Amino acid sequence: MKSFFRLERGMYLELFLATALMIVDVILTLTFPYFTTHKAYYDSGAYIVVLLVSYLIYVSYLFWAKKKSTNDVAVVLYGFFLLWEVAYKLGWIHNDLLLPSPEGLFHVFVEKAPEISKDVWGSIQLLFWGFLLAATLGTLLGLLAGWIPRVREVLLPISNVITLIPPLMFSAYLIMILSTFRQAAIAVIFFAVFWPTFQGTVIRVGQIDRQIIEAARTMGVGTIGMLWKVIFPYCLPGIIGSISKSLRGAFMCLSGAEMLGINLGIGYFTEKYKSFADYRCVLAGIVTVGVITTVIDLAVNKAQRAIIKWEK
Amino acid sequence: MSEAKEAKTQGENRKVKIQIKDVSFDYVDQKTRFGALKDVSLDIREGEFICILGASGCGKSTLLSLLSGLNKPKSGELLMDGKPIKGPGIDRAVVFQQYSLFPWLTVKGNVLFGIKQSGRKLGRKERSELADSYVESVGLASAKDRYPSQLSGGMKQRVAVARALALESEVLLLDEPFGAIDPKLRLELQELVSKLCANYHKTVIFITHDIDEAILLADRIVVMEPGSIRSIHKVRLPHPRVREELSGTEEYERLHRQLISAFYDQVEDKIDAGVTL
Repeated sequence: MKSFFRLERGMYLELFLATALMIVDVILTLTFPYFTTHKAYYDSGAYIVVLLVSYLIYVSYLFWAKKKSTNDVAVVLYGFFLLWEVAYKLGWIHNDLLLPSPEGLFHVFVEKAPEISKDVWGSIQLLFWGFLLAATLGTLLGLLAGWIPRVREVLLPISNVITLIPPLMFSAYLIMILSTFRQAAIAVIFFAVFWPTFQGTVIRVGQIDRQIIEAARTMGVGTIGMLWKVIFPYCLPGIIGSISKSLRGAFMCLSGAEMLGINLGIGYFTEKYKSFADYRCVLAGIVTVGVITTVIDLAVNKAQRAIIKWEK
Repeated sequence: MSEAKEAKTQGENRKVKIQIKDVSFDYVDQKTRFGALKDVSLDIREGEFICILGASGCGKSTLLSLLSGLNKPKSGELLMDGKPIKGPGIDRAVVFQQYSLFPWLTVKGNVLFGIKQSGRKLGRKERSELADSYVESVGLASAKDRYPSQLSGGMKQRVAVARALALESEVLLLDEPFGAIDPKLRLELQELVSKLCANYHKTVIFITHDIDEAILLADRIVVMEPGSIRSIHKVRLPHPRVREELSGTEEYERLHRQLISAFYDQVEDKIDAGVTL
């Protein structure tokens, strides 16, 4: 049994490199605040917290998973941050309005904390309800259509056409015709998730081993039992597996819709500061979206492994 | 082997459980009549163990799919207890060749599924105990919480047998259940099935292409040639049969010779066959 605190020999060198890059960056940020030609100066606290917290996550993951690629990612990441910092401090970046310093970017999360948290919470709520509705209905209808040929032959051609239209194109229209922004946002997510879920489920039902179905039939399983007790559990891993993909799609559409005119959510936040020409906040919004989608992805994968204990 | 036991194994005086009357079947979606049946008739008595022996493509699995109700005959009828077989039902449990277990359920879960489908009114605890006893009867008590993907081929077929028994049907249909299992394990499974079917008083129809398997298990062996029944052979060997003790005995050798010639379509030995259709 390998000890938690042991790594392969080659891995220590890269760990040292990543650590050095991170520490130099921290020192540079702390000790050279006034060596710049820029007027804007932001408190570097948030940036340093980000560096340290990410470092903590990186090191614990490295020792836990013991993968070389973890080191590579860390070196690239801290190298990039250091380069950015150096470029900024040496005055290579002339316009800090368009491209802020890393500490300037992360300071947004301190300055605008209430606003960002409100918008993130708003986005997540919309996402939750829209997704829940679309995924449930899409799965149910997909199971029905997958099992009953007549239903499938009606719905599949329709869905084939609709899924080819980018959901964002519906958004502008939906936002216009629906009375509240909330309804519009949920409708947008619904369109983005429902049809792909439906199609995926139909395909998955079609791929069920015939022996499984025949075995169930010889045990006297009827139509409803077949759908609920055989086809649904058989397809469940596939359905859960597709959740993270469709959630990503949903979030993309939601952010787009928020930018198109829904007055809440993180997309709205980004769009708003774009009009104020505050690109620091725009970048912060983009980073936030990245963080949220990553967290959702990780959570779904974790849930999938917890729920599905069998494999085919 | 007493006279009474002899009579029981042959089951001559018992009532007919399943009747196959002039049954024909075609695969409509294929141009060739591969595996089709033409005017097949056979009576199976209650408690009988029938092996249907034939090369692949002779229609033996088709015959089983008709008995299970998954397919309907083009003409003729299949009766069970005098009533026509209209579709799949829990009065006939089926064990397929492979891949028929529910992969999302554990060994015990698969057996419980069978118990629930059997329609008996049982409490949760009774069901669980019953499932345990079936799992134990096929020798898988220590693996009852494993999923099918964690089992070997032989273990999977044990589960399939347990699940079929759990339906508590009077008739058991097995479609080359041990065809994909290696010979050593196959022998174990054959002995298990032979024992269980006798214990639970099942009427069994067992499809196989293995002559030794047929002799070991059957009361009567039905040899099929493409589309129809070629000959029927009574097996007058006492139960329980043990492979090592069988081989070398006169009855076994005679039967084996007969079956080989029937199986390989040799005319000169046809006279030896018990009943020729």
